[in-house]
Amino acid sequence: MEAEAFRYIGMPHPRTEDARLVTGRGKYIDDIVLPQALHACFVRSPHAHARITGIDTTQALLMPGVVAVYTGKDLAQWTARHRMAPPINGLKVMEMDTLPIHKVRFHGDPVACVIATNRYLAEDAAEAVEVNWDVLPAVTSMVQAMRPGAPRVDDALQDNLLSHQQAVHGDPADAMATAHRVVTSTFSQHRQTHLPIETRGCIADWDAGREHLNFHVGTQAPHPYRTALAARLLLPESKVTVMSPDVGGGFGQKIALYREELTVAAASIQLGRPVRWREDRMENLMASAQAREDFCQTRVAVDGAGRVLALELEITEDFGAYSFYPGNYLARVVAMIITGPYRIANYAYDVKVVLTNKVGNAPMRAPMSVTSWVMDGTLDAVARELGLDPVTVRRINMLQPEELPYAMATGEVLDDVTPVATMEAVLAALDYPALRQRQQHARAQGRWLGIGLCNVVESTTYGSKFYKSAGIAGSGHEAAWVRIEPSGWVNAAVGLGASGQGYETSLANAVAEGLGIAPSKVRLHLGHTDIAPYGMGSRGARGGTAGGGTLYLCAQQARDAVLNIATHTLGLADGVKLRMVEGRVQQQDGDAWADTRLALEDIAQIAYLDPTALPPGVTPGLEFHLTYDPPPMTYSNACHACVVEVDGATGAVHIERYVAAEDCGTVLSPVVVEGQQHGAIAMGLSGSLFEHVDYDEASGQNLSGTLADYLVATSHEIPHIELIAMHTPNSRTPAGIKGMAEGGVMGSIGAITNAVNDALAHLGVTVDQQPLTPMYLRKLVREAQAQTQEIPL
Amino acid sequence: MSLEQVITLTVNGSNLSFEVEPRKLLSDALRDDCHLTGTHVGCEHGVCGACTVLVDGRAIRACLTYAVQMEGHEITTIEAVGRPGNLSVLQQALHECHGLQCGFCTPGIVMTFEAYLKENPDPSEPQIREVLSGNLCRCTGYQNIVKAIALAASRMREAAHHGS
Repeated sequence: MEAEAFRYIGMPHPRTEDARLVTGRGKYIDDIVLPQALHACFVRSPHAHARITGIDTTQALLMPGVVAVYTGKDLAQWTARHRMAPPINGLKVMEMDTLPIHKVRFHGDPVACVIATNRYLAEDAAEAVEVNWDVLPAVTSMVQAMRPGAPRVDDALQDNLLSHQQAVHGDPADAMATAHRVVTSTFSQHRQTHLPIETRGCIADWDAGREHLNFHVGTQAPHPYRTALAARLLLPESKVTVMSPDVGGGFGQKIALYREELTVAAASIQLGRPVRWREDRMENLMASAQAREDFCQTRVAVDGAGRVLALELEITEDFGAYSFYPGNYLARVVAMIITGPYRIANYAYDVKVVLTNKVGNAPMRAPMSVTSWVMDGTLDAVARELGLDPVTVRRINMLQPEELPYAMATGEVLDDVTPVATMEAVLAALDYPALRQRQQHARAQGRWLGIGLCNVVESTTYGSKFYKSAGIAGSGHEAAWVRIEPSGWVNAAVGLGASGQGYETSLANAVAEGLGIAPSKVRLHLGHTDIAPYGMGSRGARGGTAGGGTLYLCAQQARDAVLNIATHTLGLADGVKLRMVEGRVQQQDGDAWADTRLALEDIAQIAYLDPTALPPGVTPGLEFHLTYDPPPMTYSNACHACVVEVDGATGAVHIERYVAAEDCGTVLSPVVVEGQQHGAIAMGLSGSLFEHVDYDEASGQNLSGTLADYLVATSHEIPHIELIAMHTPNSRTPAGIKGMAEGGVMGSIGAITNAVNDALAHLGVTVDQQPLTPMYLRKLVREAQAQTQEIPL
Repeated sequence: MSLEQVITLTVNGSNLSFEVEPRKLLSDALRDDCHLTGTHVGCEHGVCGACTVLVDGRAIRACLTYAVQMEGHEITTIEAVGRPGNLSVLQQALHECHGLQCGFCTPGIVMTFEAYLKENPDPSEPQIREVLSGNLCRCTGYQNIVKAIALAASRMREAAHHGS
């Protein structure tokens, strides 16, 4: 399957959604005006862990504009509790109230909701709600969470260990016992949050006449969201419509149904009026989903050449206080794919997920973000231990093209990946040997340059079989419809939820390719549950393979039906080959193709308005629907390289160069793909260098509630990113699409940390935690220099 | 919770009168009372830059300004810059360079640089990056925004050259 075979897939056209967005004519939640809408504001816990001994709403109800104040007890009458209980070995069941009734579990936990005629008045009244607290000791770290006798985050559980899973593949113990060397490394990834520039928000509009809830919310997964919302409201799923308009970024924060949104929906039903809610930035930083906090330890058995004979991985994840997702949802995948592009047959893992008094975790762009840092960081540790070049250790362990398809120790099958090609391309772009020489010269002058590499195998698209084998609840299928209207214009829909990915452009290319019509004739309809078919939404990097693939297959089905009618209309014998190009039917004539008198609109006219002229057995209309379940797992691969200079006096990290080669197969739109690569790399760098959701260790107070505290990289800190594009198609997916968009996070987290480590290696210190703040790096430098000075001359 | 008062704002060349509390933010007044929803609110504490509008030609944060302070000033919002089918040079460059993804931060960036490029027609990349650092974007990694601004600047210089 060659990329050149495509006419519309891969077209580098700018996006069709841009015109409305650059002119301020997009429609985000807050831009939707509903008459008579009320505004909600939540009363939140000032404590990390406390019993609620009483809530007095009397004063608040007397305030101007206040219509109602609801507490957890009210919501319990109107809504069902949340129950997270997938049948997974080692995972405990968790339940939660719509709003906490008995106790709060993190600083910012919502306990009451004020509904007023405008947001200013709602905020005033929220201040007047009096809550009495019995403050409890808080669990603020995963180490503390696992201590015997630690306070319990969830009173219904016996301890804070939510999920624990282990597996052994091959015989790692034997390899450890007999190896040349066993190298141990640790990796601490800190807590972060998604930080979409548009915070969460919603509008609930109960239609009392039809008894139907119209619910506007920015969501990445409209249909699963509707299922959850209807169930929690005790409504039939046919009485809830979810509409997701333009969304100002999601990154994983806008998937699950939040308690605030459910409360707003219940309030609208109770009051018979539209109710709207928009969280402010402090609420977004304190109470919207967070992610990533984990500690990993690897032990590798190696021979003298740096060949990995066995790997043991331990992961502990701090999951926060609530289970919006199954506890093993994030960390388990890291354990399944950790070996990435390397040949490691003997492998064991142990994954623990613990509860703490923090916001509940969600997937965040690359939920398995830590994977490649841990694996390539481990190989760097081997290189340092054995005095080898980091590239040598990678090369000796890397899967060669002839070894594919390769079954990883966990049984996951890698195919159509090109790790050797991506790494060698990056090394060539860097002129690696020359760069190492320059590093030595610089060091002689007292300048600390560091070179970091990180190879990535990105799990992009999860088929249902992977979920099953990984012990994760869920389906990986997607659904699409394509309708050729009587005029020949094409409408299409798929169950994804857009939040900036440019689907209206890239997916139009997929439909155009399958059908044989210009993308400008195709319009995508996304995010409305009564219009789009039930799909699994946008998460991971499934948009291309699952979303684009399903549309492509559905459009091919439409094309076949159109050509069947054309054969009949033209009176051709079976076996005469037809095709459609730019909306015109062409007939094969020897080695060439000749135009027929038919265009797509001619066929559409017959199908809709002259059905007696259709071939025998063909039913009227041109409407097509298709579902598709992708292979168990689809992988893209990449190599990232980062060159840094660390200022020993200040601890500042300056990124001198950033290069990445990514092979993400057939791409629907190279414009969109490049943008996703930039964005993912920037998010990884920003997270590694600056971002940190910081909780006070003693009290559990959130210390990063403003953008002056939660630092995010600006245009000043993000470097120019050099990209090398590669496009080896996947042999098992429609059109060879692989998907991408999260690997940039995985690669950049590893590349920058490995680079900083390399810059400081001569001091004998190891950077094993993020963020790479100047304070942290200065501390390492100070300690190293103090030790040097202690050595007697 | 104080009394509302009638104010008159000059927005995009039109005079609009409406009642507001003195504490009402300019960003909220533009969106709720003037029905101009292109000015986005991302942080309400002056960091993200999504709400940037022009006051007497200068870029300011509408979330750090009270509407009542703005009487007698000329306010320009994104709605006055260009429209689909008739984009400004900068908007066109953002489109061509893929300088936006979710688009939520984009109006603020357009307003910042509509003002900046008028006074600084030939900025260097570091200068563009320094000015852009006042607008947060979570999607793009900034690279294509920087590229678009440089392209717009060069097109505007060319147009000025031919026009003179």
